Order: sequence, then C-alpha cells, then structure tokens
Amino acid sequence: MSLSNILEDWSKYRKTREDGGFHDYEHMWGMAIDLNKCIGCNACSVACYAENNLAVVGREKFSKGQGMHWMRIERYWDEPDLGEGRVSEFNQHGANFLPMNCQQCNAATCEPVCPVAATYHTPDGLNAQVYNRCIGSRYCSNNCPYRLRFFNFYSYYEDSWPAPLEMQLNPDLSVRDKGVMEKCTFCVQRIRTAKDKAKMENRQVQDGEAMTACAQTCPTSAIVFGDLLKHFNPDADVVETQVTNMWRTHQVELGRSSQNKQNPELRGYRVFEGLNTDPCIMFLERVREV
Amino acid sequence: MSNKVNRRDFLKIMGWGGVGATLAGCDLPTTVTLEEGKEQITSYLVPEEFVIPGVGVYYASTCQQCPAGCGVHGRVREGRVLKLEGNPESAINKGKLCQMGQSGVQTHYNPDRITRPMVRKGGGLTAVSWDEALSLIEGKTGPASGLKGERFAWVTDTVSGHQATLLDAHLESLGSSNHFVHEIINNSVSQAVNQDMLGEPAPHLALDKARVILSFGADFLGTWQSPVHNSVMYAEFRNAPRGVLIQVEPKMTLTGANADLWVAVRPGTEGVFALAIANALATSDPARLDGLPDRLQQLIRGYNIEKASKITGASGEHFVKIAAWLNERSPSLVLAGASAEGHEHGYDTVAATMLLNVILGNIGETIESSGVFPFPQLTARTGGSKDLLDFAKALDGQQLDVVFFRGANPVFTAPDALDLKGKLDKVGFKVAFSMFEDETTLMADVVLPMHSPLEDWGTHVVAHQPRQSLIAIQQPLMQPLYEQTRGFGDSLLTMLKMQKAAGYSDYQDYYAYLRDAFSALPDNIKAGASDIDFWANTMQKGTLDVDTGAGATIAVNLVDFDLPDNAKQDGSYYLIPSARLGLWDGRHANIPWLQEAPDQISKVVWDSWAEMHPSTAGKLGVKTGDTIKITSTTGSIEANVYVFKGIHPDAIAVPMGQGHESYGRYAEGRGVNPLKILALNTDRKTGELAHHSTRVQVSKTGVTLPMVRFQGHDTQLGRKLIATVTADVFERTEGDA
Repeated sequence: MSLSNILEDWSKYRKTREDGGFHDYEHMWGMAIDLNKCIGCNACSVACYAENNLAVVGREKFSKGQGMHWMRIERYWDEPDLGEGRVSEFNQHGANFLPMNCQQCNAATCEPVCPVAATYHTPDGLNAQVYNRCIGSRYCSNNCPYRLRFFNFYSYYEDSWPAPLEMQLNPDLSVRDKGVMEKCTFCVQRIRTAKDKAKMENRQVQDGEAMTACAQTCPTSAIVFGDLLKHFNPDADVVETQVTNMWRTHQVELGRSSQNKQNPELRGYRVFEGLNTDPCIMFLERVREV
Repeated sequence: MSNKVNRRDFLKIMGWGGVGATLAGCDLPTTVTLEEGKEQITSYLVPEEFVIPGVGVYYASTCQQCPAGCGVHGRVREGRVLKLEGNPESAINKGKLCQMGQSGVQTHYNPDRITRPMVRKGGGLTAVSWDEALSLIEGKTGPASGLKGERFAWVTDTVSGHQATLLDAHLESLGSSNHFVHEIINNSVSQAVNQDMLGEPAPHLALDKARVILSFGADFLGTWQSPVHNSVMYAEFRNAPRGVLIQVEPKMTLTGANADLWVAVRPGTEGVFALAIANALATSDPARLDGLPDRLQQLIRGYNIEKASKITGASGEHFVKIAAWLNERSPSLVLAGASAEGHEHGYDTVAATMLLNVILGNIGETIESSGVFPFPQLTARTGGSKDLLDFAKALDGQQLDVVFFRGANPVFTAPDALDLKGKLDKVGFKVAFSMFEDETTLMADVVLPMHSPLEDWGTHVVAHQPRQSLIAIQQPLMQPLYEQTRGFGDSLLTMLKMQKAAGYSDYQDYYAYLRDAFSALPDNIKAGASDIDFWANTMQKGTLDVDTGAGATIAVNLVDFDLPDNAKQDGSYYLIPSARLGLWDGRHANIPWLQEAPDQISKVVWDSWAEMHPSTAGKLGVKTGDTIKITSTTGSIEANVYVFKGIHPDAIAVPMGQGHESYGRYAEGRGVNPLKILALNTDRKTGELAHHSTRVQVSKTGVTLPMVRFQGHDTQLGRKLIATVTADVFERTEGDA
C-alpha cells in the first residue's frame, strides 16, 4: 500500500513538474508570511492551540521537546559577528522572529517514508495526516527537515483538559491519542466547511472564506492564507487570491529547488529551498533600517 | 464546478447506502428508548431556537483579558463557546486578537473556578448559599449595620461602562468615595503628563501616520495601552513608505525586539537621552527651540551628546543617527512607557519625551485629540499603583471597616515592604467578587462566585480609544457553566437593592438595567432606529460608535521639570519587573496555554527567569541556566539566569506573572514574583510606585536547576532561515505598493 502510494504521489508530482499547471489539483493551499510585519507575539500559536485541540503537555514533558505547538515562533539573535568585523555589545537590531508551521511541502520528505501511508498528499495540495492509519513509527518526524511534526508520546486527553476545560474542544476534529503523529493541517476542518458551503451554493470558494486560525488572529496580518492554484494554472476553476498575488509579485514559483527571479531583490523565499521539498509557504524577508 | 466524483463524495454516497443497510438489519431492541432517554438528550429532541447541531454560530462580545477592550466573536456550537476570534467591526482590534484574548476560553472553562459562595468559618472558607452570604453582607454593610460610608471601600481593576455607574451608585448609597483602582501595568505617570501638557489623559496616538517612532520603553506591541490596536496600526506603519522604529530602554521588550535600532540605556536615563536628541535637533536647526521658555532651552542645551552618552551609557553615534532620522522624516512620534515612568523622576522623564514631541511638531499630527466622551459617567476609572499605596495607607490608619474586592489582586501585586497581608488581616470585613481563589480572594470573609466574562453582561468604555470612540458591548456567549455564579452587574444591583438605593428596585437583573439604559440613550446615537432594532443591531455589531469631537486642536502647556544627573554607581543593579504579553500582571498564570506559550524574548515556559547581560554574567561567573539570588533591602528571590545582549549591564530583569501562592493548579508554586522585593520608592510628582528603581545585589548560588526553554539555539548557525534586507531594498522593490 505504501509503495503504491509513494509511486502514485511521486508520479503525480513529476507530471506536474514536467507539464506544469497542477491539473490534478482542486486547490493548492498556501501561505505568505511577511517577516517585515511579524512581531513574534505568539498570537498565532495560541490561536492554533484553541482551534486544533492541541494538548498542553506541562513543564517536564516540554523540557523533553514534547511540546505540541503546531505553529511556533522561532526567535534568533543576530550572529555574534554581524559581518561588520566586530562583536556587538547589544542586540541592536532586535530579534529575528520566524513563525513555523508545517510547510505543506509538495515534495514532502515525510510522505514517502511512512510505512502505512498515513501521511499523503491531497488533491487540495495539502500534506495530510490520517490519524487512524498512523502506527507511530515516527519516520516522518525523523525525515522532516523543519521539525514540524509532533508525536503523542502519551494519552494527553487524560490530563490535559481537566473538566470543564474539555468543553472547549473543537468537535470538528479529533483529540489525538498516544502513538499518533500530528501536525499543522492548514485548519483542514475550516477548509472543508468553506468548500462544503461553496458547493451547496454552487459557487467557487471565495478568497478569505477558508482561513486558518493563525492568519485570522495575526494582529499585524503578517500571515496570509489562500489558494495558490491560479498562480500556476490560469485555467483552474478557482478564484484569484491575495496570496497568489503575493507569490506572483515576489516571483516565487512552486516546483523549484532554487528561484529564478527576474528581480533578485524581491523578498520572497522559502525556508530550506535547496532541499527540494517544495514548500507551500513563502516568507518575505525581514527588513531593517541600517 | 466540475462533475467529477471525488473520494469524499463517493464515501458520502456509500455512507448513506450503508446506513440504510444497517437500519434494515437492526431488529434488536435498544435498552433505552428515545422516550425514556429524553431527559439526557433533550437538547436534540427540543432544540433551542437558532441552534443547528454541528453548525457554529458567532456572537459578538468584548474581551476582558486586559483593559484594552478588544471586540470578539465567540464561536458557539451546541450551546458551548469554542473559540474566540477578533471582531472585524471593532475599531480597536479590527478582527485581530492577541494570545491573551485567544485564551479567554481557558479563563471561562478553567478547572479552578469558584462555583459556590463561601464564607469564613473558623479560619477556613466554607461553601454556603447565596442567601446566607448576602445576609452576612447585609448585616455588615446594610442600612441597619451602622457602617459609616467613609469606612467602606471598593478595590477594583479598571472598570468602566454601566458597571462603573452602578459601582459609583453603590458607593454613593453608602456615602463613601473610596474607590481604589489598582493596575500594576498602567500608564498613570504618562496620563498625568498628558493631562498637564495636552489637557487630556489619553490622546490618540497615530502610530500608523508616523514615519519615525522613537519609543522610550513603551512596549506598544506587547503590554502598553492597547496592544492589538497598536499592532494593527504598526502593520500600516511598516508598509511602504516604511517607518523606522527606534526603541530606547534598559531591557528589550517585545517592541524593542522589533526595532530597527534598539538602544540599551542605563535605567532611569531615558529623559537625558530625550533631551540630548532635542539638543542635537537644535544644533542642526536652532529654530526648533523657538517659543520654548528659557529654562527649558537651557535644560536642553545642557545635554550635549557627549554628556548624555556618558550618563546613559549609549554610544554617541546612536544619538547622531536618531537625530538624522528625525530631521529627514516627519511626522514622528515619541512614546514613553514603563521603564521611563518607573523612577522617582518618572514624571520628569515622560515630560522630557513629550517636550521632544512638541519640538518635533507632533502634537496634532501624530498625537491627536481623542475629544470629550459625551457620557462621563461611563468612562474608564483607571488607576495604577498609587491607589495601592493609598489603600495601604488607609489600612494603616485603620480607616476602613469593610472592603469589597473585584478584579484586582493587591495581595499578589503589592511589594512585601507594604505588608498588605498583615494590614488586611485587621480589616473587619472583606468581600471578594471573584472567579478564582487568588491571594486576595483567600483573605476575604465572604467570597461571591462571579460569572466568567463570557457569561456576563457589560459595557466598556476603554481609556485608550481608537480614532472613532466607542462603547464596547459584552454579552453572554453561553449559559453559565455553574448554577451558583452570578454576574458582576447583577451583584452590584443586589448590593444597591440591599442599600435600598432609590431607583434600582424595579430592575430584575442587570440585563433589564442595560436594556433600560440603552433605551435612554439620545436619538443621535440610535440614528432613528426603534428601541428593539437599536438593541438588536448593537448586540450584533458588538460596538456602539460615539462621537467625541476627536481630532480637535490640542493646546500645549509646557511644564517645568528637572532630571537628576547620573545615579550613583555602587555596584548594585536595577531590578526590572518586566511585563509579559501573556501572563500580564499575573492574572493569566492560571491559563495552561499561556504557561506553555514561550516568552517571546527568552523562550522560557512554565517558569520565572532573570535576564542578564553577558558582561554582568561574566563578572558573576554565571551562565544561562545557573541560579542566582537577587536581594533588595526588603527581600530576595531566586531564579535561573538567561544571558543575552538585550539588556543593559546595570539591569537585571525578572518578569512579572509567576510566584503565585494560590491561584489554581497551573499557577501555584511556580517561579517567583519580582514585585515582592520592590522598594517603596515613588515618583516624586505623581506618587506612583517607581517600580523600575529598586536596587538589588546579585549573587551566584552555585546551583544549576533545569530551565525549560523552547529553543536549543539562539542563532541561526549560518543557515538561511531568516534573511534580512535593508529598508533601501524594500523601498526599491515595494515602494510603490
């Protein structure tokens, strides 16, 4: 099963790369995250906890790296040597904040290693995780270069939501049990709701109709979420979106391991592009006045 | 749409077929019939109006996690509120929410809520009925109790809207004027300066219009005034043409971490820094000082860059660069926050920064008049730490027999030197209107269990209004979780009825009072709508716009001030009790999401820590993770060290929020509370606690306890996770956007 799954996904991916256009896809959900605007406040991360039934693991388990934050803010200080040939006494350019959630890679390194095809690529361009199939081999997590997969080492439902906290749990998705891998889904339950509604009303999903919890709450609107398909396939039966426009403006393309921009000064980039994972999240470089 | 049958549709079709097959094959009798089980499944047999199982419905309300008053939309499904989103209709937060707002549901569903009224019996608190609790209160405060008005006091956090009106009415019915409003995270000193210099305490600060923001410790993205409102404006500020942000402070705040230039200054020297910038501006253009009184001109001329650099410890080239930015670009905006306010000369420091605004011509440009709110009885009763000190003084003089508490937790936030606990012990009768067993609530004689903000009615007129002033509406998003909790407005009405105050006996509950108050609003606010339409529309929108005449001219009244020269260098450090967007002043320490959310700067979770500069750490021989002891004249605390270059070597920062003795399972016995060891220095003009001025000794304990942090590496190790481009490049590529 796994092998056929790999071959199928891979041939679909190759075909798209060679023919272009992503003709087998219904959507291609993606993001643009502007690091000029991101202030590292962590609102996205907590919104994700609220939306996606993420377990609070407590201090001790957190210390072992078992925190379940699907969306996290990484914070880096400038390198000791700022390239100015001297070590600065202070962090005078502030911090570097990087919101990291599953990059929803098109050539996802996590997918081919799953022995049971619990992680696979959907026709929406999502890197999906099927909890019921997962047997907890953790190969996917091991193979994710971004460290954005989170394993349930315990049955957190037993003590992460003492009554009545469990009443807050979102019934649109499950609470994962011990032995299951989980990760950012681009709030697939919200996408599902938007798609169902659009279908009932016999229309296309509008831009902003499917919105991830992180993008919705972001106080500076640094996170933009939407359908990228129009960027690659002008004939696709989807609407033009803000995120498509941003990818286009910054001349970032899917299906590449390095970007070939006409204007190399444009800020768009993808993290670890050279690994050829082909992520669906474009970042816009941080800006500083120097 | 395409006519393809996808996998999901296929399963749906198959699923219906499957259900049919199952039902046909189902001939065994079930053990509980539908009729017998009706009690348990009533909600589905007789669904409430508007409730569609499986479909979330959004209701508007107002966030109560901090005094900013952001509008929220609560997602309600099957009678439960599941998630809070920002209300796009609110001019404060425009559909956005911070992590504290997102956690509102965990305050509401918190497992440690108080569910029953309690009274003190034989030392401990015992659950009783409301009737018993109220009769006790009536005995101590009712008309027959003989309580003299001036011997009664309310101690609250920020309160506004119709709750404030009722609270005032309650004080009036008792003949008391003692309302102590205590917020440890406050803007009281700045408000005093604004009042004196601009004639209004909280003008609107147009961050979005500024091309340069020079902020002296104002953490406007994190904990200052209205963080989400500020963040929304900040996003605009960072669009092309991109504004430049300079943050001058001794300890890097979240805002400092986003600055183009972050300048570390010796604690308490921000005023000197501001005057030196004014000096540099005047050097390049002497006309800048035209119209200033001689005394202020002399003051400015007294601080050249060389002198200021020596006092503040900041490099001279920073002054030159900042002055150049301010010369090149306008309008600008100069802000002052906690680190500038928190010294004995806090008022003077803030006045110096406001003088810089005057010199730069920012008054009326980026500092806009917020006008006059037409309903003064609804405006926010704000406060700071002076009210805490006054309250302690009143207790000292044994001036109070009965104290009512709501919101504030002074036993937690008061420095040990104040001995508030000991003083409160001597107060005859204390009542806490509370949701949680915090330190103050546990000292009460009667504890009344309150609704959560998501179960309660309210109106809020926040102190820091957006350009379009508004009344924020708080309405219940679901039925109360517990039978015995009551709303704060309802409780105030109960208290008023107890006092036989005229005019309140007809109101069955606070809802009825609010309905009546809304009917009584003038026609220009209702815009011609009928009472019922007006009410329904307002509830749906969640906010009510009020015209205040904002944007009127501001007349500047320059105040005289003086700054001390450099403080003595005696080998001690300044203790900075820093504020976190997250645990705030400690009120959110019982929220597991926020405990597990790493601090934005140090990335520590579930604990306290002490921030220290590498040079200080080198002197003491400690590294990140080592435990140090911080000793002031009034006590000591121990915490693990986080060493980084975002703090001045003369300062040690320990965040507020942890160190609760009681506040539920998530907060108790975790970390330390730096407020406890603060000295009782006060700002000499306003009397506010000078909370950044405490001097401490630091020593190594030799212990290295585990410190739980989110991140292993503090730098990118040469990988390109985040790259930075210069603003020039940004202007070239996105300048026309």
